[in-house]
Amino acid sequence: MATSELEVTRRPAAADPPRRLPILAERVVAPFRRGTPPEPRPATGFYTDTTVCIGCKACEVACKQWNQLPADGFAWTGNSYDNTGGLSATSWRQVKFIEQFDGDGAGHPDRWLMMSDVCKHCVAAPCQHACPTGAIIYNEFGNVYIQPDICNGCAYCIAACPFGVITRATIDGHAHKCTLCFDRQRDGLVPACAKACPTASIQFGPVDELLERARSRVEELHRRGETDAYLYGDRPGPTYSSLNSFYLLVDRPSVYGLPETPVNPWLHMKGDYLRALVSGLLSLAVLVAALLLGGAHR
Amino acid sequence: MTAPMNMDQTQQATVVGYESRPVTKPPNWHGLVTLDMVLNNLSTGLFLVAAVGELLDPVAFGPLAPLVYPLALLFLLGDLACLVLDLGDPKRFHHMLRVWKPSSPMSLGTWVLSAYAVPVTLLAAGSLLPFAIGGVGLDLVRRALLAVGAVLAVAAAAYKGVLFSTTAQRGWEEARWMGGYLINSALGLGAAEMLLLATLSGHEAAMLDPLRLAARLLLGLNLIAIMLLAKDVRGPLSAARGPDGIASLALLAIGAGVILPFVLVGAHGPVGVAVALGSMLVGAVAVRSAIVQMPHRLAEGGRVDERMSGRANPGAASA
Amino acid sequence: MPGLGTSFGRGAATNYQQDLAHSDCILFMGSNMAEAHPVAFRYPMMAKARGATLIHVDPRFSRTSALCDVHVQIRAGSDIAFLGGLINHVLTHDRWFKEYVLHYTNASDIVMEGFRDTEDLDGLFSGYSGDGRTGHYDARHGHWSYAHTPEEAEEDPWTGSTPMYRMHRQELGMHGHALDLGPSAHAGTRQATTACDIEERPRDPTLQDDRCVFQILKRHFARYTPELVSEVCGCTAEEFVRVAELLCANSGPERTTAICYALGWTQHTTGVQMIRAAGILQLLLGNMGRPGGGIMAMRGHSTIQGSTDVSTLYDSLPGYLPQPCADERHERLDTYVEDEGQVTGGWSRFRQYIVSLLKAWYGDAATPANDFGFGWLPRPDADYSQLPYFDRMAKGGVKGYFLFGQNPAGGGPNARLHRAGLRNLDWLVVVDWFEIESAVFWRDDPEGPPASEIKTEVFFLPAASSPEKEGSLTNTQRMLQWHDKALDPAGDSRSDAWYLYHLGKRLKQLYAGSTDPRDQPLLNLTWGYEREHPEQLPDGTPSRITDEPDLEKVLMEINGYCTDEIDPRSGRPRLVSGYDELADDGSTACGCWIYSGVYPEPGRNRARERKLGSNPLQPDWGWAWPANKRVLYNRASAAPDGRPWSERKKLVWWDARAGRWVGDDVPDFDVHRPPDYRPPPGATGTDVIAGDQPFIMKPDGVGWLFAPGTVRDGPLPAHYEPVESPVKNLVYPRQTTNPTVRYFEGPLNRIAHTPTWDFPVVATTYRLTEHYLSGPMSRFNSWLNELQPEMFVELGPELAEEHGIVHGGWVTVETARHRIEARAMVTRRLRPMRIGDRVIHQIGLPFHWAFSGEVVGDNANDLTAIVADPNVSMHEVKAFACRVRAGRRDGAKPKPTLREALWPARSPMPDTPAAAQPEGRFVRGD
Ligand SMILES: Nc1nc2c(c(=O)[nH]1)N[C@H]1C(S)=C(S)[C@@H](COP(=O)(O)OP(=O)(O)OC[C@H]3O[C@@H](n4cnc5c(=O)[nH]c(N)nc54)[C@H](O)[C@@H]3O)O[C@H]1N2
Ligand SMILES: Nc1nc2c(c(=O)[nH]1)N[C@H]1C(S)=C(S)[C@@H](COP(=O)(O)OP(=O)(O)OC[C@H]3O[C@@H](n4cnc5c(=O)[nH]c(N)nc54)[C@H](O)[C@@H]3O)O[C@H]1N2
Ligand code: SF4
Ligand code: SF4
Ligand code: SF4
Ligand code: SF4
Ligand code: SF4
Ligand SMILES: [Mo]
Repeated sequence: MATSELEVTRRPAAADPPRRLPILAERVVAPFRRGTPPEPRPATGFYTDTTVCIGCKACEVACKQWNQLPADGFAWTGNSYDNTGGLSATSWRQVKFIEQFDGDGAGHPDRWLMMSDVCKHCVAAPCQHACPTGAIIYNEFGNVYIQPDICNGCAYCIAACPFGVITRATIDGHAHKCTLCFDRQRDGLVPACAKACPTASIQFGPVDELLERARSRVEELHRRGETDAYLYGDRPGPTYSSLNSFYLLVDRPSVYGLPETPVNPWLHMKGDYLRALVSGLLSLAVLVAALLLGGAHR
Repeated sequence: MTAPMNMDQTQQATVVGYESRPVTKPPNWHGLVTLDMVLNNLSTGLFLVAAVGELLDPVAFGPLAPLVYPLALLFLLGDLACLVLDLGDPKRFHHMLRVWKPSSPMSLGTWVLSAYAVPVTLLAAGSLLPFAIGGVGLDLVRRALLAVGAVLAVAAAAYKGVLFSTTAQRGWEEARWMGGYLINSALGLGAAEMLLLATLSGHEAAMLDPLRLAARLLLGLNLIAIMLLAKDVRGPLSAARGPDGIASLALLAIGAGVILPFVLVGAHGPVGVAVALGSMLVGAVAVRSAIVQMPHRLAEGGRVDERMSGRANPGAASA
Repeated sequence: MPGLGTSFGRGAATNYQQDLAHSDCILFMGSNMAEAHPVAFRYPMMAKARGATLIHVDPRFSRTSALCDVHVQIRAGSDIAFLGGLINHVLTHDRWFKEYVLHYTNASDIVMEGFRDTEDLDGLFSGYSGDGRTGHYDARHGHWSYAHTPEEAEEDPWTGSTPMYRMHRQELGMHGHALDLGPSAHAGTRQATTACDIEERPRDPTLQDDRCVFQILKRHFARYTPELVSEVCGCTAEEFVRVAELLCANSGPERTTAICYALGWTQHTTGVQMIRAAGILQLLLGNMGRPGGGIMAMRGHSTIQGSTDVSTLYDSLPGYLPQPCADERHERLDTYVEDEGQVTGGWSRFRQYIVSLLKAWYGDAATPANDFGFGWLPRPDADYSQLPYFDRMAKGGVKGYFLFGQNPAGGGPNARLHRAGLRNLDWLVVVDWFEIESAVFWRDDPEGPPASEIKTEVFFLPAASSPEKEGSLTNTQRMLQWHDKALDPAGDSRSDAWYLYHLGKRLKQLYAGSTDPRDQPLLNLTWGYEREHPEQLPDGTPSRITDEPDLEKVLMEINGYCTDEIDPRSGRPRLVSGYDELADDGSTACGCWIYSGVYPEPGRNRARERKLGSNPLQPDWGWAWPANKRVLYNRASAAPDGRPWSERKKLVWWDARAGRWVGDDVPDFDVHRPPDYRPPPGATGTDVIAGDQPFIMKPDGVGWLFAPGTVRDGPLPAHYEPVESPVKNLVYPRQTTNPTVRYFEGPLNRIAHTPTWDFPVVATTYRLTEHYLSGPMSRFNSWLNELQPEMFVELGPELAEEHGIVHGGWVTVETARHRIEARAMVTRRLRPMRIGDRVIHQIGLPFHWAFSGEVVGDNANDLTAIVADPNVSMHEVKAFACRVRAGRRDGAKPKPTLREALWPARSPMPDTPAAAQPEGRFVRGD
């Protein structure tokens, strides 16, 4: 909420490269142009404290409004109050509702968990790693950003994201996701969703400050006996980097639709190339042998 | 006053909670991608076999060149067409080439494919030229093109496998041997293609036996590759297809893809060989589309299952 | 709000929302604050972060419950039983705030001999006439007042008054738009205390006397034991006691508890008494007038507080002055003031207020000779509040109707009856943003007759939206906030003020020169709101619209000015600085006395001020009535001797050296009156208020535990069942429902009287964060529609199982009025309750859907009924009886009137400067 926002200090936005060519040529050339790289800045991100989320969805609407995203249909899902269904190219925030009442045997008091989900802005982001056009970059704030006029909709990032954040928009065939309000940050504004959040469930700011705040909050909760509170994504694990957008949760990640232990697919890459090479060479050897044995070249 | 459940209701029962849904989103890759993989392997396989053959025995393999390389080029163009058309925004296909990003298998693949296109095109052109290519110098160049092309072909045939196995999609992320399988099956196909061309063109029989032997050995390896692949993905695979699906898949992949051709490549005359190649293709397509479809099926699957069981809110479920 | 007005003196929320952050405990009851006031809910969340305990007592487990530490499920309509139990707990366990109660309440007052309590009369109070279902109380004959009330008050103030006058007196305080929290800050017959000498009145400081308020209270609530509470409300006795203990533990000199309520209390035939019960509880616990305490009435849509303040209600004039009615005692100013004013307390300046109002309205035409034009005020001859009015309309009794910013065809209780009413009009003018149900009922109502059979001529006028016009909004905490016009409205859209102003001008033209006395009110009306300078938009460009009235002029008139004094600075009449300046000789004019002070000097519109300072009350952010006081009755934040009860909870205290009251807030007290001031014998006016009597609007300066004759349905709250309930009254077996409810039964408005066996399920209606009221402001917006696209019903798995209802399937809900269909949201958030010896199920219906808009659905209000509680003509949409079955209803279904617009669509090639960035430049490797 306003009182606890850490406003990003204002910086002028880089100007568009001037258009010198007819539109078609421009389209061909533009992607190859390079601008001057902006100064790197302290990494920013989100700390989402799900224990104070009131499920008002102001964040969802603020995001749609600021980014002028279309509504994606009027389907009543019956999944508690979540009719958003999931994150997608046209829904960059999704407020999840989990009803836990006696009978589900988890031994906690009756509760209705609410959580506003968003792109995790992974410190080492598989989507960025995957992107063949370089549309996905880490911008100067260390946020994972899809340059919408570079993306050609190959969908590889979609396949690569372990959190199911990205999809391809039917409108333009491109991949979209939370930009962490890149445009607002550049103008020294707080992301729309964080600004709209009435209870400071979504807190934006420099990641290190957020981490401090989050950790002390967890301690506070533990002191009050709410011992299931913990942070998700605040530190790197054996198979995944830390998340610049991390969460305070009170139940298993999977309850919130998050992977228990996310795995960065690129851990396999070298090995898989190696295996491919080995079997390639093996097959080639077999071929050569066969041709020779079979009496070629006599 | 309990009313009978009407249609609307049975249709309406809904998924509740998040644990039962897959977390990841499938990339919506379907037929085009399968086709692309097949065409890719038809081109690279054919080129590899021809190139290796020609390098080893120019006399025997040389004469087929005018047939082989243009064909490889056609397959390649088909492949590229699939790739472009499968983009969300084909107008921007060239954006692929704005960066050289080997860390991304798709970027690497794009570059490799494009590079591979060069020797194939030159060789195709070269072999189509009316006058025969003579002279030591040119011959060296040709051999160089063959060698380079062969290396690129291996990479081009294999990268797609790694592209799949380095995603977060269930059924792909586990597939450690995907690349291995593809390159191997590419060579198998290549051998069979070569065999067919040879029998058709009625060129000297000298190369038939070696090709038969090569095809059989490669099919043997292919069986191993399929097994390794299956071992990794059996979990998601059975979830996606169910026992019957698996059985039919096995029949196609091994029966049609390996055993039948193993026998038929022995046949004399084009028909038998053609059938052999055909059934190998059937097997190849079956395996590839099974792989491609897996995460998509699982994505829907999640919901389908739920609808069947018509599960209600956690509360209701526990009522 | 008689509920609050009767107990404390003013009918408004006592504290401000930000103050909830200072509470040690907050009881949300009948409020769904997290969903209905999400932005304000940040303050309870702050309190929680500081260790406060949040409690939600509600029929459902809502998003509010999810954030509270304690949730207790009770049966809709059983609140008085629960609150009565709390009061009983405080009394029997001696947990009441002794010094506070002794000095600041009427606990020690002795009540008249003849008074009989519900204990003595099986659930009725003395003075009742009626058949037990409907009827009325005569407070005076019931001896509801203090003992030894002087003789002159004994004689009937109604002598020679017409039945109509009686009726009106019976219904004083009713308000039209039968919503929200009622008007009349000083509802009621005033003979109770006015005329008597406060100091002479017998009291018993030991609280032992049998007839003293404290003992009556004890006896009255004695039967509200935890066991009874559990039986009536359906919660467990343990749950109840836990809440009681939390409230007690968090009250006293060092700690304060706040209570937040809203429609879960007001929308009942016993609503006013629920609020009364909360008042009694907070007085006993000593939480009134203190930081983090008080009672927050969480009010409704934009400036509904303002609309009751300046009074859009037919029965009250601005500032809660009662509308004179058709009766000889109300014909002349003197008798009117005699009846409605008070001799002592804050209301003793009644005459100044009404005369200043008349001067504001009729200007120079208002002279002492003509009673300041008092005779020109319209005199209602009957109940013209919304429900009776539409009942009349449905019977063909109304010709034409102006509808500004309201959608009765969708949002009104028993909306079908409302639509029937609209169909019976000759003409209807709808001024709105959208083509709402009330504007298209003749075309799109799936159940209405064909358009050809509807004679109503409908005129739709496009309204400017809030950012497209200037004006002030008064919010829940009585704060006026001015908003400037940001841009011109599109096309022909105009502000509501524009429509009314120009309508007025044309009417004046039409009747110009007429000498017919009937036309004088119109002709003499002051109407000079022309702009001196053309309107400018924030960007400096001139507005396209040149004839919008100047609303700051209206605000200045509301603030008040001297009629005989010119301010050199402005060259216009001098503005008054506050209502203390108002006179009764016509030398001042004031459009709404409680707002006086909002525009104290030329060019200083305090409602527009937005200064943030170090003072936690932020007195320079907007302006709150009265006199910018943010915590009402804040004198009570100090002990009788004027020292703060505790350092932790200090707000306003007596500074002996300076000889005045000081503190963060504007003292709600005569700043120079020392704590030890005692009124001289025979004192009148505000002089009777002793230095230790914080409730200055009360004739006796104290909070009323016992209400001597000012609430229509009893001096003390008593539990009655809703008019539609499947269970009998377990508290007073002989008296089922509120004996003073008014019914409007007819073919379109059938009632399934309590106890009903045909409709065994309890239903309640409420809001969702995602939608707004009957939906116009949300169901035309794709971004909101996708969040809650369809009407649904919340019901528990047990009930669902019983009727073969499947989660996500269709369910049909039926009441005595009508039936609707909706999706079934089967959830554990509602659970069956054991009421007495029966298991009772509850269902919940959002009321946001109807037949016009981008998403449509059946309307919960086609199920609800029109009935009227005696104080504010409130309906009972929060508790009624229904039955449910699986499957859809038959009959035509509504179709969207607006094509699904996936608006606004992102352009395929958004040009973003970021495209110029070299990719990978900042890659941190893995
Ligand atoms: N998003 C949104 N916000 C709104 C509005 C809106 O339409 N949408 N409307 C605005 C307006 S006009 C108003 S008046 C306010 C109303 O604000 P609220 O009164 O808070 O809103 P409701 O949801 O109508 O009712 C509140 C709660 O009362 C409960 N309830 C029902 N019956 C009973 C009962 O008998 N006893 C008790 N203790 N509780 C009961 C309901 O379960 C519900 O949770 O909201 C305002 N804010
Ligand atoms: N069952 C049930 N029924 C209820 C309630 C409940 O809790 N349960 N709540 C009741 C309550 S508390 C309330 S307040 C009522 C609300 O009922 P209504 O007062 O009918 O409220 P809305 O349905 O929002 O209609 C308001 C209309 O004003 C229009 N409007 C908005 N701004 C402006 C403006 O500036 N100028 C003009 N001219 N028009 C404007 C909107 O487009 C909308 O059509 O519903 C009541 N009905
Ligand atoms: S969450 Fe997914 S989309 Fe977001 S940065 Fe990480 S990998 Fe990319
Ligand atoms: S879809 Fe766009 S953003 Fe995603 S990987 Fe392909 S090019 Fe990059
Ligand atoms: S940061 Fe901006 S883009 Fe991302 S979710 Fe919030 S509002 Fe949407
Ligand atoms: S805005 Fe804040 S409180 Fe509201 S849903 Fe989003 S995260 Fe939760
Ligand atoms: S709609 Fe306006 S008034 Fe209501 S909660 Fe939101 S901000 Fe506050
Ligand atoms: Mo309201």
